[in-house]
Amino acid sequence: MTTTTPQLAHPSQRAHSTSLSFGGVLRSEWIKLRSLRSTTWSYLIVIAISLGMALIMSLSMASDMNGGADASGMPADGQVSLIVQSSVFGVFFGQLVAGVLGVLIISGEYTTGMIRSTLTAVPKRLPALAAKAIVLFVTTFLVGLVANLGAFVVSSVVFAGVDVSASLVEPAVFLPILGGALYLALVSVFALGVGTMLRSSAGGIAAVLGVMLLLPTVLQMIPAEWAHDLIPYLLSSAGLGIFTSATAEPTADALGAWLSLLVVLAWVGASIAGAAVLLKRRDA
Amino acid sequence: MITAEGLVKRYGAKTAVNDISFTVRPGQVTGFLGPNGAGKSTTMRMIVGLDRPTGGSVTVNGKPYAAHRAPLHEVGALLDAKAVHTGRTAYNHLLAMAATHGIGASRVREVIEMTGLESVARKRVGGFSLGMGQRLGIAAAMLGDPSTLILDEPVNGLDPEGVLWVRQFVRHLASEGRTIFLSSHLMSEMALTADHLIVLGRGEIIADAPVADIIAGGTRPRVLVRSPHASQLADLLAAPDVAVIRSEAGVLEVTGVPASGIGDLAAQNGLAIHELTPLSASLEDAYMALTADAVEYRTEAVR
Repeated sequence: MTTTTPQLAHPSQRAHSTSLSFGGVLRSEWIKLRSLRSTTWSYLIVIAISLGMALIMSLSMASDMNGGADASGMPADGQVSLIVQSSVFGVFFGQLVAGVLGVLIISGEYTTGMIRSTLTAVPKRLPALAAKAIVLFVTTFLVGLVANLGAFVVSSVVFAGVDVSASLVEPAVFLPILGGALYLALVSVFALGVGTMLRSSAGGIAAVLGVMLLLPTVLQMIPAEWAHDLIPYLLSSAGLGIFTSATAEPTADALGAWLSLLVVLAWVGASIAGAAVLLKRRDA
Repeated sequence: MITAEGLVKRYGAKTAVNDISFTVRPGQVTGFLGPNGAGKSTTMRMIVGLDRPTGGSVTVNGKPYAAHRAPLHEVGALLDAKAVHTGRTAYNHLLAMAATHGIGASRVREVIEMTGLESVARKRVGGFSLGMGQRLGIAAAMLGDPSTLILDEPVNGLDPEGVLWVRQFVRHLASEGRTIFLSSHLMSEMALTADHLIVLGRGEIIADAPVADIIAGGTRPRVLVRSPHASQLADLLAAPDVAVIRSEAGVLEVTGVPASGIGDLAAQNGLAIHELTPLSASLEDAYMALTADAVEYRTEAVR
């Protein structure tokens, strides 16, 4: 028989049952994402833009048809194309919101000093960036999906008035809807990388919008063939290719959906790789 | 336990921390004292890996901070009361920090209660006063129930009641056997809170002694002794009411023995003395003198 003398647990020797884990960091980033008003607003705007644009687009196309062409005689793939165009139209504007949000997710931490709390809790740093990217990607994808599906419903209702319809189970319908949501999610992660590198809200947003809006215009203005050849490889042009390509395979004048996706992934990869290197190396 | 060895931090041409070595021991409050810009915050940031040392190393409980499996259980740090996103509520901030280590909501409520933040926990941090921000920082530091606490200017911005609370809180934590490393630029605050002091000036350690010795040195007549046999002399002088502080190699600050007594003792033992200066200063004066010396020392070293 042994008798143990009761001993007060010394805080310095007390065993802790919990420890730092990637699952925990993911949960932490999810709490952070959902506990800021700016995030909620950004996502609501993405959905609102998507529904609003679908409504405007489908109403205007449907009224054109009432004026003359006989819609009921239209081939099925023509009907699909009309409804899909209207359903993903919001992505053109939603990508700007997703880009701004991606920058703010990290630049907000730098401007408020929160990053020091984050990196004290996760001193190896890269898991924090990875968790942010994953949480942002998944949330933005789901929000984009809801937005595009909502837009599909709005468009279907409007087009039903002129006997134009498309079924959601057709690959030609659901693939662009998925592709549009995927592109929004990838843009937000690209912007997260840029925001991490620049550590400033204004600078990060300017850089992201510059890449998405300004770069295509600048290349178009350069009177050289190489500049023109580069345009399909820009983030926004390739992104467009993911959800508007007529074909999955490359054609003479377009990259096709798969190659477009690869180009966008390359942009995202470069941005996140740069962010990882700088985050690891710099003082916080 | 925090151990720094030859720690150096340079920002371009500016040296913020210049080759410092020290140990912060458990079971007591160690004060980190120095004027603004002395390198206190930089040193604390290097301990938790926010800044990368230019040279040397620092470990907590035997390992670099980032190498621990559960860093928040090893070290709680209040480095900057503003290290919180202003758009988030205090509760959600703590919940997010806790989640990284799988710490639950019940512990979050505990630290909120511990720091007296119940009434504002659901408010967004942007509207917090400096004092509430400090309490939130301390709450975050306590989340992991860490054995070591690093607090950078924790009483900054607190009202007198808050200052008293922090003082009693850190004394209590130290009495539980924790390691407490507390910085301040206020000597008076340190005299009341700390057991041991590390004084930093211009990035170098200019004193590392029990606070009682430094207070004794500051409030009673002291004698500065410069001798190549400083350690032998210190042994000879040792007595219950005599305090000997070694601020740098070959220099002693002796309290409790007049200059004549030290001179006689050295002569009897055949020890050479290069300087024997009676000093008399208040607590603040002693601190100012220590830091001023450091400045002069630097200027000479550059030449």
